[in-house]
Amino acid sequence: MNNIKIKSKNLNVYYGEKQALYDVNLDLNEKEVTALIGPSGCGKSTFIRCINRMNDVIDICKVTGNIEMDGIEINDKDLDVVSLRERVGMVFQKPNPFPKSIYDNVSYGPKIHGKGESKNELDEIVEHSLKKAALWEEVKDRLEEPGTSLSGGQQQRLCIARAISVNPEVILMDEPCSALDPIATAKIEELIDELKKTYTIVIVTHSMAQAVRVSQKTGFFHLGKLIEVGKTEKIFKNPDNKMTQDYITGRFG
Amino acid sequence: MTKEERLKKRHKAEKRFRFYGVVSILVALLFVLILVQNIFSKGSSAFKKTVINVEIFFDQELLEIKNGASENEIIEADFYDVAIESLIKAYPTKNLKEENQLLKLFSGDAEFEIKQAFLDNNNLIGKKINLNITASDDIDQLHKGNYPRDLPEDRRRISDFQLVIYDFLVENDKIGKNFNNYFFKNGDSRDPELAGIGGALVGSFYSILICLLLAFPVAVLASIYLEEFAPKNKITDFIEININNLAAVPSIVYGLLALQILLATIQLPRSTPLVAGITLALMTLPRIIIPCRASLKAVPPSIREGALAVGASKFQSVFHHVVPLALPGTLSGTIIGLAQALGETAPLILIGMVAFVVDIPSSPVDPSSSLPVQVYLWSESAERGFVEKTSATIMMLLSFLIVMNFLAVYLRQKFEKRWN
Repeated sequence: MNNIKIKSKNLNVYYGEKQALYDVNLDLNEKEVTALIGPSGCGKSTFIRCINRMNDVIDICKVTGNIEMDGIEINDKDLDVVSLRERVGMVFQKPNPFPKSIYDNVSYGPKIHGKGESKNELDEIVEHSLKKAALWEEVKDRLEEPGTSLSGGQQQRLCIARAISVNPEVILMDEPCSALDPIATAKIEELIDELKKTYTIVIVTHSMAQAVRVSQKTGFFHLGKLIEVGKTEKIFKNPDNKMTQDYITGRFG
Repeated sequence: MTKEERLKKRHKAEKRFRFYGVVSILVALLFVLILVQNIFSKGSSAFKKTVINVEIFFDQELLEIKNGASENEIIEADFYDVAIESLIKAYPTKNLKEENQLLKLFSGDAEFEIKQAFLDNNNLIGKKINLNITASDDIDQLHKGNYPRDLPEDRRRISDFQLVIYDFLVENDKIGKNFNNYFFKNGDSRDPELAGIGGALVGSFYSILICLLLAFPVAVLASIYLEEFAPKNKITDFIEININNLAAVPSIVYGLLALQILLATIQLPRSTPLVAGITLALMTLPRIIIPCRASLKAVPPSIREGALAVGASKFQSVFHHVVPLALPGTLSGTIIGLAQALGETAPLILIGMVAFVVDIPSSPVDPSSSLPVQVYLWSESAERGFVEKTSATIMMLLSFLIVMNFLAVYLRQKFEKRWN
């Protein structure tokens, strides 16, 4: 069993009047993939957006409770979100490369954090990140081409490379394969398997098969509540909760 | 109704709609065509001026200077007598009255044109040269066919005797048309043949420049702040509503505002491009802020999130990603706002730009006119020559507007990036 990297305690999230998360207590293990499953609108994405404070962007969003990473409180007004997001990267549902060159997409993060002072160092970071994202072989000869000219799957791997480029500890993935075809999905899943050696990964997914394939731990959300969490094997073979059972067997959702 | 009938009806409805669309476009095109044709047919002749070829004799006795005189001496010298003596030889006259009528064929500036020729070639004393002297407005209009010569003499500005001279000049090929440099070079004048848009062009240029320098940075910064940084609350809602209101305020109200605040209270110099620029900037601000905010809004939120997620600060995500993507829309919005400001007349009339200004302004604090105001001024003048000048000025104004709008479209298409 790996160490606990992130720990949430009684986490509540409100969008204006509406409560989106109810007292979520969830521990995420280091260098492991945790999958979050559940029907649409159940709060999976809201939860992972608490980990890198992306909810700050939404004016009406209010978060109460605690969420700690390595014992440091994330849900703290005085916390510098810039350095938090340097440690917690994120990949979104729809690939969102910047409309700039492939190189600039990957080098942007290191540049703003002052990593890679010289062109050589930056080149190295870009190559390393693209290699880790299993994209290097496909793009090494056209780094100056716009990132938006790549195919959907390549774009998503470019976004993963962009997340890796600042050398984070945690990578959040919000349905990273929902806009991709099966082949591209398979590539991303392989990649996740590889990445978990270095990073703590949280992935939100609608595909139960994907959760089984990539994760070691699974949490099931329903209507803003964490219904059940446990080892992936256990959740899918022998869940404790009736609702979990119904969901994974496709009876609702 | 059977299924087939319903289908037929649907197709018919679509065809009808297409037909209406085509008709309305044709009607709109027809109006544009009539407008352009009208302006062109009236205005194109203003780009030429009628000149009369006359032999000028630089008589040493009449001129009080010698060959090789300095430039200053020539400028000081009096060419009036030389001009009169040479011009009256253009046609054999019998008495003083006829001489006077003959002289009226020439522009009041004939003397200066002769002096200029002398300045250009400073050893003409005692020599004769042929010069093209600008004709007076009446002859100009007659020669261009804008003046009816079959009216009875007492209702004509041109006498029978002048018509005889004119016909004589035409027969002897002494009269012709040249490029009208005065139209571009000169300021306003009471004589149509000498009047030009030089002053109005410079005035408009300074006004728009000041308008751009004031309005662009303020509008862009205000848009970025409101769109990206300002909290969404009642105050910002109120500001937003009022920006939209301001864009709809009639421009003459801005003129009144400028009259009271800029001229009466701050006492800035009247009739100047400086005041015009500030007034137009006030008027243009909301008209730039609105398209600016629209183009910022059009940048997909996923770009902002992508930047924030790698740890960019709000400021970095806005200035590294959002603003560059919104720039084409911002620029084209600005240019279209400026094009509107360029054609604006009402506020300028109120701040005294309607003054009759002969000199070409050398700085933004000199009294000046502007293109649309010049159109307004000339359209009120009685002289026939101003009709073509008015249309020609409109042509100039329209061509600037077309160039600016074209530039706006070009910039938007060239620099627009797709993000999907």
